[in-house]
Amino acid sequence: MKRLVATFAVGIALAVLPQLAAAEGRFTTFKLPEGHYPHDVSPGPDGLIFYADQRRGGVGIVDPKTGKIEKVSFGEGSAPHGVFTGPDGKAWLTDGGLNAIVGYDPAMKKFTVYRLPEETGYTNLNTAAVDRNGDVWFTGQTGVYGKVDVKSGKVTAWAAPKGRGPYGITATKKGDVYYASLAGSYVGRIDIATGKVTVLEPPTKNQGARRVWADSKDRIWVSEWNSGNVSVYDPANGSWKQWRLPGSNPKTYAVYVDDEDKVWLADWGANTLVRFDPVTEKFESFPLPAETANVRQIDGRKGEILLPLSGPRLVAVFKK
Amino acid sequence: MTPSGRGGRRLAQPRRAARFRATFAACVWATLASAAARAEVPRDAGERAFLKCYSCHSVDPREAGLSGPNLFGVVGRRAASLADFPYSPAMKLAAARGLVWTEEALDRYLADPLEAISGTTMSFPGLRDAGERRAIIAYLRRSR
Repeated sequence: MKRLVATFAVGIALAVLPQLAAAEGRFTTFKLPEGHYPHDVSPGPDGLIFYADQRRGGVGIVDPKTGKIEKVSFGEGSAPHGVFTGPDGKAWLTDGGLNAIVGYDPAMKKFTVYRLPEETGYTNLNTAAVDRNGDVWFTGQTGVYGKVDVKSGKVTAWAAPKGRGPYGITATKKGDVYYASLAGSYVGRIDIATGKVTVLEPPTKNQGARRVWADSKDRIWVSEWNSGNVSVYDPANGSWKQWRLPGSNPKTYAVYVDDEDKVWLADWGANTLVRFDPVTEKFESFPLPAETANVRQIDGRKGEILLPLSGPRLVAVFKK
Repeated sequence: MTPSGRGGRRLAQPRRAARFRATFAACVWATLASAAARAEVPRDAGERAFLKCYSCHSVDPREAGLSGPNLFGVVGRRAASLADFPYSPAMKLAAARGLVWTEEALDRYLADPLEAISGTTMSFPGLRDAGERRAIIAYLRRSR
């Protein structure tokens, strides 16, 4: 009977835990200075990695070759949530503490602050993306999306459909812009000429669309926090497809699509980095190199996946 | 969600969210006319600070379906006690060990959620400012 119970218990465990792939030797981690808090990361020039330091403010810069970490302060009150590197190599930070978008030029080592209009109020700024004109689009979780016209420095903010919730944002290869609304459970397509939004509803109700990323075919991949799904919207025909992540209680926080159109996901339920192949529709789960890693965002570059491990305050590189 | 005199649209703030939802329900979503974001800044310090929580939590007892539990009446409530909310295993364990949301417990949790409850899936990184934490807790105490 004891053996039966043990066998049954193992069976249950196998049923609810995702099959884990070998990850030894593939993660390199960088411990950040005391008090730093990496919410998002983005690839910088010459192999550097930017991170948004939501606790101490400003942008952190990790040099993986030397392990050296540099910090650029944006002044009192800074608390950036997101960082995104544009095609010109500049980092764009959504600084909720300053209620401003901050552009950091690593070549000049200078930053520029683009404050939101006074009447917008506190917006809990979230994430930024750069469109085909080089303008920066952003989301604010209190219910805002907006644009920085980089040439003129003008910042415009609009009230989002369904109010609170705008979270991750992405630009397609063509330069169109989409954002996810976590509280609104939809994906918004922004007409970058007019600022108008079209609401796109994923198939699962109340799915908690958290982050979005565009692949090479301009399909929009969505990490669904509430449902534990990854879904994809194809603008070519308006179709949706969705898949549930492995394990018994997936919580899909972040999504990133690499240069080979493989989809990478952060699952808080299993504390894993998950790779999804859209061709075979198969998942592969890699255990993260720390307990309660709390990976809030994913970015990458050729051969590498970049991760902020906000729980243990690490920046990690995963060799593909 | 009252139209302003200048034709802009005000942001839905915590106490105005229900009215906003009613307005929204009457709308048909297709392509939406964009409206400039104009916020009524709450005068109350607690309500103002609660905007940092507002994306995931509500203090309106009728509002459900957000990614965080409803916080109406949370002060003094046993942790993980809303029947319809999918709490994390870590939060359920803390509740089983007797966690009650006293003002002190809320203060510890708001200061550093992960430090207070390892494994929590609340994605908020924490509030360093003790005054802001006190203001939020006072706001929550009044929300019952």
